Amino acid sequence: MKLIFAGILAGLMATTAAKADEMVFTSWGGTTQEAQTKSWAEPFTTSSGIKVLQDGPTDYGKLKAMVDAKNVTWDVVDVEMDFAIKAAKDGLLEPIDFAVVPKADLDPRFSNENAVGSFYYSFVLAWNKGAVSGEPGSWADMFDTKKFPGKRTFYKWSAPGVIEIALLADGVPADKLYPLDLDRAFKKLDTIKSDIVWWGGGAESQQLIASGEAAFGQLWNGRVFALEKDGADVGVSWNQNLTAADVLVVPKGARNKDGAMKFLAAATSPTGQAKFAEASGYAPINTKAKAEMPADVVKGLPDAHVDGQINLDMNYWAEHRDEIATRWYAWQAK
Amino acid sequence: MSVEAQQGITTSRIPAGLGGLFPALILIGLFFVVPVLALLLRSVTDPAPGLQNYAALLGDGTYVRVFFNTFVVAFVVTIVTVVVAFPVAWMLAIMPPALASILFGIIILSMWTNLLTRTYAWMVLLQRTGVINRALMGAGIIDQPLPLINNLTGVTIGMVYIMLPFMILPLVGTLRAIDPMTLRAAALCGASPFAAFRRILLPLSLPGIAAGGLMVFVMSLGYFVTPALLGGTSNMMLAEMIAQMIQSLLNWGLGSAAAFILLVVTMALYALQLRLVGSKRAAGGA
Repeated sequence: MKLIFAGILAGLMATTAAKADEMVFTSWGGTTQEAQTKSWAEPFTTSSGIKVLQDGPTDYGKLKAMVDAKNVTWDVVDVEMDFAIKAAKDGLLEPIDFAVVPKADLDPRFSNENAVGSFYYSFVLAWNKGAVSGEPGSWADMFDTKKFPGKRTFYKWSAPGVIEIALLADGVPADKLYPLDLDRAFKKLDTIKSDIVWWGGGAESQQLIASGEAAFGQLWNGRVFALEKDGADVGVSWNQNLTAADVLVVPKGARNKDGAMKFLAAATSPTGQAKFAEASGYAPINTKAKAEMPADVVKGLPDAHVDGQINLDMNYWAEHRDEIATRWYAWQAK
Repeated sequence: MSVEAQQGITTSRIPAGLGGLFPALILIGLFFVVPVLALLLRSVTDPAPGLQNYAALLGDGTYVRVFFNTFVVAFVVTIVTVVVAFPVAWMLAIMPPALASILFGIIILSMWTNLLTRTYAWMVLLQRTGVINRALMGAGIIDQPLPLINNLTGVTIGMVYIMLPFMILPLVGTLRAIDPMTLRAAALCGASPFAAFRRILLPLSLPGIAAGGLMVFVMSLGYFVTPALLGGTSNMMLAEMIAQMIQSLLNWGLGSAAAFILLVVTMALYALQLRLVGSKRAAGGA
């Protein structure tokens, strides 16, 4: 019996042992991860000889489980920035080796000791032109069921975005959003609760809008960009667009840490960022990337819409993540 | 041969083959009992030793409501499944065997199809712009789409569909064991078809209904995919809440406590059913 167990264990260890020429990249699937594979992973494999295995979708519970169990199979993970700040505090992340990853040209808003920017994006108001008459022009319109009847779709999980949208729609000035008045936000959300359809992932948000199942909603700008590219009849308003960022992190105890750092250097390089931005419609976090991009693509990026743009406060969210989440899910379940 | 008699024979044979149980016991011990104990341990130690996770769950209106929702959904699904499954099971029981085996094949085949695929298929059918609503609106029967998804209706339809085989199979076993002559005798004595059903068929098939019903109810309690896709946030079920606690809040102590409560309640229900129906009859026909 013992022999059998020893054999099984040895077999398991052999298959999971780290290989220096292989690493695992985890992201959110769909059009975003496809763009990351093409813009970062494939050229990186060609230049470094390190094979990049794709996994996903990102799951914070899994990441924590891997680190806790000291059995980390992900080397680089694309996460939301507020999670990265919190995870770094909880000791779940490796520090970034800035001797390998050049820091000089990285937008300092989206990088810190344990994370480098992946891309940054805006939540925008998108609608199905066939299902909406007129043009919704502000978040307040999403709360006006008389002027704009129909289902509206919002991001399901507790994350920066919807609370801010409710407060803006209720008349809170952009510079007075933080600290978030949760009572006021939930009261505002209550007024349209029965008209909300939640989307849990990017592909779902695209499906809801494209089919007209939801007439309009709060979407990631890259997902709207992909819909437009596919020829879907969608409208988009950048008024009060809300920026947030995804960052790349290395979980503590990652098997191929060296490979991971090299991958980060390639992914955040001007070329890697320019290619990804072109493929996804998300904005680059390397300040030199735009010089390598076609002018018409630059025009469609979130940073071409800085007028009325609002930066979601990642540090505030990292600080109050649990408290807001508890109330968020309690409100949803009501 | 009655169900009791069959059970009697098997029971008497068990001691001789006890050794054969060991592989299964080791498997269950290693991959069920040990993790459950770890879960229990985490629920009283994470983030700090004590019962605060349980206090938080039982003291908070939201969590209690989710528990309540879970039981309501499981109960509704079980009732509807029984009502839909009974006629099918009766047909299968009295049908010529060749035809019945074809129908069985169809029922089993549906179980082999991927759960996610089947649930997505229901989404396509039920949504506001889905096949059913479009057809009804096209035919002029309704002007506004019916709310068939993201609510209790959607969850019930999707889950009953998935649970049906688990109800039909034990029920057919029980119904086949009923002597059709009893129904003929009832008719001869002047009972109406409904009276025969209510006073003969229904009582005799209770063990099958109880066995299938318990299985459906217990499976429904822990269901995740179908409620998550076809339900709304306001009738969230426990499994989805646990997933949120684990994945999004990273509050594993709370998630473990919720999972443990679900396990205890499920086992208590099983014990209750054994007492009410009797252990032999509960297992009968399955």
